[in-house]
Amino acid sequence: MTMTDNVLIVGIADIKTGKAPFLIKTTLGSCIGVCLYHQEKKVGGMLHLMLASSEGIVRTGELKRAKFADTGIPDLIHELKVKHDADISGLSAKIFGGAKVLQGVTSDIGKNNEEAVRTILKQFGVKIIASKTGGEKGYQIEFDLDTGKVLCKIFGQEPVEL
Amino acid sequence: MEDKSRISKAIQLIAQLSIDRASQVFSKMVKCGAKISLEKVYLTDITKATEEIAIEGGEVIGAYIDLVGDAPFKFLITFETNDSLLLTDLILQRPTGSTKELDALTQSAVQEVGNILASAISNVFSSDFQIKMKPSPPQVVHDFAATLFEEYISAIAAESNEILIIESQFMVVRHNLKCAMYILPLKGSDKTLSYICNTI
Amino acid sequence: MSKRILVVDDAPIIRLMLSDILKFNNYEVVGEGCNGQEGVDKYKELKPDLVTMDIVMPEKDGIQAMTEILEFDKNAKVVMVTAIDQRESLMKAIRAGATDYIIKPFEQDRVLSAIKKAFGEA
Repeated sequence: MTMTDNVLIVGIADIKTGKAPFLIKTTLGSCIGVCLYHQEKKVGGMLHLMLASSEGIVRTGELKRAKFADTGIPDLIHELKVKHDADISGLSAKIFGGAKVLQGVTSDIGKNNEEAVRTILKQFGVKIIASKTGGEKGYQIEFDLDTGKVLCKIFGQEPVEL
Repeated sequence: MEDKSRISKAIQLIAQLSIDRASQVFSKMVKCGAKISLEKVYLTDITKATEEIAIEGGEVIGAYIDLVGDAPFKFLITFETNDSLLLTDLILQRPTGSTKELDALTQSAVQEVGNILASAISNVFSSDFQIKMKPSPPQVVHDFAATLFEEYISAIAAESNEILIIESQFMVVRHNLKCAMYILPLKGSDKTLSYICNTI
Repeated sequence: MSKRILVVDDAPIIRLMLSDILKFNNYEVVGEGCNGQEGVDKYKELKPDLVTMDIVMPEKDGIQAMTEILEFDKNAKVVMVTAIDQRESLMKAIRAGATDYIIKPFEQDRVLSAIKKAFGEA
């Protein structure tokens, strides 16, 4: 765990979970940040994923499950249950990121990531109650595990709370 | 399969030669005493690398360049936003403080420093190892440092959990210019790196 | 009458630096291009006495642009301005018709000597 006071920082292909009064932070580009929160227990977690699917990726080394939406989201849900006793039925989601920062790239990875995240969360029956995605600039998000609110700053814009 | 420690030595050598050459051209470009020194060459986990940059934070202007050819590499150079204004003054030989706004000229200062340094590195491959490499046109982005870095490593990070970071430090006489420069070997450069191992 | 020069480079700062050197030395900068295609279009429109041309540019690179300019005007004078200091690339540019080349980062003297050489001046 990387923390300063009550702050957890999430890097790429990573999951961090915790409870109030922790804050979980990350910075995103084409990656998607998935924030899951259990209102009653005041616990939550964040997944910083980079790709939609783990299928068909030629990889070196073991599978880093948090890289992908199809493996990372189930792991986040599982960790919240096992470590914090937060049942899936009480979880809601907020999603961020999926920007197209580099122009001239043919595939829109951010958009693909967002679509995959929405599909997988729907399959698990977790409702997305807020989202801020797309565009061409990076996102900095700060997830407050006391309130479930996420402070989202898109580069060059004023922060908004969701 | 080539011994990993020999490939590391090859990378260290390439990194040192590249940075030395880049240092010479950078000094010429800013027309004052300037040095780029090789800070470190290390293999690190992608999560750890991006966590550290996220903690440091900051807003930067960065130039991305692909080095294409026999040894594909990715190159990234970033300057803190305020330092890009100073960089513009140094290159244009204006009194420091003359450039006050971030505009197309300031962004092109970063663009061109990236172009010239990436070219210097490809020139080393060509002259010292007879390996053909050329830079692509730079892409300039103004964003969070962590966002730029994340996009930079994404080509490698999809398939690998570790990345090789070649990090350097810039020093400009009388000015505190904060700059980060990264060189990242891509899949497909292993054969060339093995070839270099055998020639050193 | 001042010699007329077209400056083509994708970096505004390089176009500014070259233009300043040229203007200070009594050359007339008649136009600028930010990529190879613009370089070709502006050459045809402005018919300058000489064009300075970057090599690595988006849309169309400098070698391709120079080839098209020479097809349009076989007497065109093209001075390549590039950061690529590789013998093979430079020889390719010369064989393709470049009058001379300048390596970035450049000094004023080097720019002027390449321009003067292209114009057959001492």
